[in-house]
Amino acid sequence: MTYADAAVALILLGLSAYLLFGGADFGAGLWHLVARRRADRDVIEHAMGPLWEANHVWLIFVMVMTWTAFPPVFADIMSTHWVPLSLAALGIVARGSTFVFAKAVPDQGWYAWIFGVSSVLTPFCFGAVATVLATGGTSWLGGHGLYGGVLTTALCAYLAAVYLLWDARRLADRDTALRFRGYALISGAAVGLLALPGAALLGVGSPLIAVSAVAGIVSLVLVARHHLLAVRVTGALAVVTVLWGGVAMAGLDLHASAAHDAVLQVVFVALGAGAVILVPSMVWLYVLFQREGAPGR
Amino acid sequence: MAARQQMAFTLGFHIILASIGIGLPALTLLAHWRSLRTGDPVYTELARRWMKAAGVLFAVGAVSGTVLSFEMGTLWPGFMDKYGQVFGAAFALEGIAFFIEAIFMGIYLYGFDRLPPKVHFLTGIPVVVGGILSASFVVTVNSWMNQPRGFRLVDGEVTDVDPLAAMFNPATPVQAVHLILASLMVCGFTVASVYAFALLRDRRAGRVDRYHRLGFAIPFTLGAVCAPLQVLVGDWASRFVADNQPIKFAAMEGIEHTQAGVPFKFAVFEIPNALSLLLKFDAHATLRGLDAFPEDQHPPAEVVKFGFEVMITIGMFLLALAAFWGLAWLRRRRAAGRAGRLGAGRDLPWHPWFLRAALVAGVAACVAMEAGWTVTEVGRQPWIVYGVMRTEEAVNPNPGLRFGLYIVLVVYTLLAVATVSVLRRMRRRPEETAAPADDREPEPVR
Repeated sequence: MTYADAAVALILLGLSAYLLFGGADFGAGLWHLVARRRADRDVIEHAMGPLWEANHVWLIFVMVMTWTAFPPVFADIMSTHWVPLSLAALGIVARGSTFVFAKAVPDQGWYAWIFGVSSVLTPFCFGAVATVLATGGTSWLGGHGLYGGVLTTALCAYLAAVYLLWDARRLADRDTALRFRGYALISGAAVGLLALPGAALLGVGSPLIAVSAVAGIVSLVLVARHHLLAVRVTGALAVVTVLWGGVAMAGLDLHASAAHDAVLQVVFVALGAGAVILVPSMVWLYVLFQREGAPGR
Repeated sequence: MAARQQMAFTLGFHIILASIGIGLPALTLLAHWRSLRTGDPVYTELARRWMKAAGVLFAVGAVSGTVLSFEMGTLWPGFMDKYGQVFGAAFALEGIAFFIEAIFMGIYLYGFDRLPPKVHFLTGIPVVVGGILSASFVVTVNSWMNQPRGFRLVDGEVTDVDPLAAMFNPATPVQAVHLILASLMVCGFTVASVYAFALLRDRRAGRVDRYHRLGFAIPFTLGAVCAPLQVLVGDWASRFVADNQPIKFAAMEGIEHTQAGVPFKFAVFEIPNALSLLLKFDAHATLRGLDAFPEDQHPPAEVVKFGFEVMITIGMFLLALAAFWGLAWLRRRRAAGRAGRLGAGRDLPWHPWFLRAALVAGVAACVAMEAGWTVTEVGRQPWIVYGVMRTEEAVNPNPGLRFGLYIVLVVYTLLAVATVSVLRRMRRRPEETAAPADDREPEPVR
């Protein structure tokens, strides 16, 4: 394995983490927009509270890795797709700030509205660009781009619904928990119906798509049977395999544009050293949060 | 040009947020330390409020920072394509430092009433250190753009990349120290100005509010301590520029022609031979003027000179305020020594004109920050990487970029207005407003 391969693996890892954690945040924003009831919104806000925009760290990680390890690729993607990517960036700004504002000043309804809309816009733009890159489509507003954007947004919504099931049961009453179950089942079915024909049409032959389909079906069964924590795993698997399938289809060969080994070496050492500090402190933070949430709930 | 304006605008926004993001945790820890020493609840309350505000600003700063990393690619693809790998490692390190700051800020915010006091205080330290480190790493990239090192160009191709040499280029120490001091000053004077406003209101109402007085004294002291240091570092910085980017120096000081015995010109004043004397310790030393360089390498000299003058003027104003504050403090100490005790800030200068000046100082410090940054950026033009790559080679040639600029202007203006209004709301209702990342009941769980 060359340094470039390791860099690709790290970028893919970062993308997966961003999809699974950041994507769920976007999806939660979508449900926040759709849900009319205060109880539903409370569950969503509560679940997002602790993590709150920290997940963009994954995105920054992916970007920094890409421009350090594969500078021409980064420059090419960013300059070609600057419109949707700028929109996504603005969406992130609007989302992050309105979420805080809506909490600090709860009587201003439009902060919450902007939060919801930008939570839909951002994953749409990312998904559109990713799909165009993977399929070699023309533009983010072409057929492939639109399909990818809608699919990504739906995936995020599905992920969020699946993750929120547990929070809803923990934090809210029975009716609310039932509604979230409905959200999860509906969005799960919708994503499946959207993803499989798309994969067939675009000619994605990867076995990963089969894995995704199986994981999706298992998830539906698990939701129906109230295995609310296990479904987080299968739901996440169903979503992340779509990303991996897309990457496999794109079959990018990045070796030609890779940076010098000296650069990658420094970056890997830095990341390793950083992880030594970061992982224990993250665990501590998580333990603090959990200890707070556990009793009396 | 649109790309430069957009970058300037978004970075100019981010630089102020980031400054306060570095400074507020430091202020919080100062207040926290005082509260541990004295057991005074006013200090604890200040620490709590400042870290909450830091939390909000941190989130806005994080997203505006995300935007900047997008813009690196969408606006400057040529730059990233060629040199991204040279300075990329600095950003990787910056990301780690930033992440540490974020995690410990979460722990610290959550630790009130939940962690033992000493441990809680210690969890604040990584927030400050992480902030300073992450700012320093970002600055290494800018100083690299001024003093590119750590690579070789062979037939236009970048080879022999040494990321560490790029990071620790000669401009890094001076730029990092200058910026960190500047951001502490911005934060100190800005926060103090908020309390100066409150103190002026208290005065009119005939009240004395100890909370407001301490809320003023701590950040103002931080700013006042940094101000004289910054003058020394600023001197170091201009000597560095004179030696390494003489054309930028010529633009800053408005030296048109190469000459001996250069006068020191400032606004309408002119002191013969003074600049030569200041810089070279020789009244007749020759300094290179703009005409020593080819026309196509001239930066927009008026902008650079104006920015430099604004920065120096404000710096002197802040230094004067700091000196006034320092003298008052010394007098108070002597008086307290005679009386055998320290009054609770009773003898500090609470004169309304001082408070009004302090109110202005908050805005002025931000303006000085922007002006100084204009000097270094505009002064480097037409280069994006000094002497190596021109800005026009780096930019995204797409003509639609101008619309992007307009949208960004509108969104950021709205964002700034909303941030200020939310912070004001938080100030007004300290008891009711929960921390942004924390909507749970404040019941301690042990």
